[in-house]
Amino acid sequence: MIETAGASPLNILVCVKFVPDPNQLQADANGRPDLARAPFRISTFDENAIEAALQLSARHGGRVYGASIVTGQMPPRDVLLRALAMGLEALYLIKDETALAADPYRLAVALAAATRAILGAEKIPSWDLFICGEASADQYNAQVGPRLAVALDLPAIPYATGLEVRQGRLVANRAVDGRSETLETSLPALVTVGTEINQARMPTVLQVMGAGRKPIRDIPLAELPGFDAQALGQRPSLRTIDVSAPPSARKRVTIEGKNAAELAAQLLSRLRADGEVKF
Amino acid sequence: MDGASILIFSESSDALVELLTVGRALCTPAGGRVTAAAIGQTATALAEHCLARGADEALVLQTTAESFPGAEELVFGLRESVRAADPDTILIGATRIGADVVARLAQALEVPCASDCMTLCRDRDGNLEVERRIYGGRFTARQVLTGRPRIASLQPNRYPKAEPVQKPHGSIRQLAVKLPPPRVRTEVSSPRARSAVDVTKAEVIVGAGRGVKKVEDLALLDALAGALGGVLAGSRPLTGDVDWLPTDRRIGLSGQTVKPNLYIACGISGQIEHIVGMKGARTVVAINNDPKAPIHAEADYTIVGDLYEIVPAFLEACERAKRA
Repeated sequence: MIETAGASPLNILVCVKFVPDPNQLQADANGRPDLARAPFRISTFDENAIEAALQLSARHGGRVYGASIVTGQMPPRDVLLRALAMGLEALYLIKDETALAADPYRLAVALAAATRAILGAEKIPSWDLFICGEASADQYNAQVGPRLAVALDLPAIPYATGLEVRQGRLVANRAVDGRSETLETSLPALVTVGTEINQARMPTVLQVMGAGRKPIRDIPLAELPGFDAQALGQRPSLRTIDVSAPPSARKRVTIEGKNAAELAAQLLSRLRADGEVKF
Repeated sequence: MDGASILIFSESSDALVELLTVGRALCTPAGGRVTAAAIGQTATALAEHCLARGADEALVLQTTAESFPGAEELVFGLRESVRAADPDTILIGATRIGADVVARLAQALEVPCASDCMTLCRDRDGNLEVERRIYGGRFTARQVLTGRPRIASLQPNRYPKAEPVQKPHGSIRQLAVKLPPPRVRTEVSSPRARSAVDVTKAEVIVGAGRGVKKVEDLALLDALAGALGGVLAGSRPLTGDVDWLPTDRRIGLSGQTVKPNLYIACGISGQIEHIVGMKGARTVVAINNDPKAPIHAEADYTIVGDLYEIVPAFLEACERAKRA
């Protein structure tokens, strides 16, 4: 393992969610999301999380692993390979076939158990850092990162826009509710990131194909050590009872015209008729 | 169940009095009480603010901390107030800090939580039923939270603020809390440059998105905002990935929630992050050269075209109309 000046290598676990691409998700005839027809992708902020981990690992040495709880439909293999092609050492899929971990509380409990299982499987003494996307592109609960920190009893810095490890301590920048902050904590720690922190690398088709040699390891949720599926199943939950496309209250009028001037004039006359423009 | 018990918390006084309105609405016909939790140097002022607006009780968490506590310490303090108030429902303002706090609190209490709720009500069994936007805002999920307490976070600037009542009846209860030493240390904390304008109060907003290619080009959109008597704001890429606009002009989940009469989205694709912040606008115009951009479905008037052609033409049309 390559060590950079004075730095010890980092073992980083990135929590990754594979989601139906919200931008390509259509409603079916009943106004329900047509999940079977939407292409899958790595949840947007999770790509930034993987990138942030890889950049730290390039500086300090160490390895970056991915963990994903897969509920229901298995993501297509090419999407899994994409995550590996970005630079993950291995991808762990925790298979939740009965959709037990379908809310953020249960997800965090399952992920906490998964972090321990992966340590054992990879024979790593301990994790140094956990990186999560700030929120998932599909459910957008923005809870799992901070929840996982509590479940693992770790210090957490959400919304990091810059990360550094100095003398074994984590230094993070962020901009939150009108303030710019530099925060510092000990390792191991957990951070969440959004698009601000980096531009995630895009693996080439060749790299994605080459990633087929890297390990994808499945663990059934119920087999995670220390994970009590039955007890969790009896805990209170957040249950989705219906998902539908809301009827749009918008007029959704497409302004037509031969050129910019015509379009502009049309728009202005519409806005004047509505009383939104007073001149 | 005899009467509801609702605990509300936000570090922002504006958000807090909105939670007061929502909390009051969630009270059952059998009655109920809304308790506000306040912490930090302004705790007493926040508590009095809520009591004057009809809160039944305010818990003031007295700490020895000199600065406003971090999320982990806030959660510690809130757990003390949960013990004191024994609420069935906890409502928290979904600022960035609030979203972090609410998730940690829910995990510490081992209970579910629904983020960024649009509507909340009690179902027939007394559980909390909420509506939230999912899948990039294109779908609405109806979700039910069971257990006690259940927690929900609400976007600020969405609900009416509770008005002062004639006869405030609630009182302050002091709670002495010894916060744990922070594990995350703040090295630097400085207020970011604030805009001279408050986008949450603007009647007209021109929103700039990733379709704007250079920072200098914002002048064009600013001129349009000026011609319409409005202000310029931006989506997350322009206020975060690059620093072209101050963060207090960010419209969206991680920024401001606005309700202008007219919102003109220029070069904004329409991710949920953004939509949640501007869906309260009365009239929405979308200008985007991508016919598939989700923003078009969120607009009253859409123009599929290059903002670099459409905006100057529209600005000129406005100026001509003003002269006439």
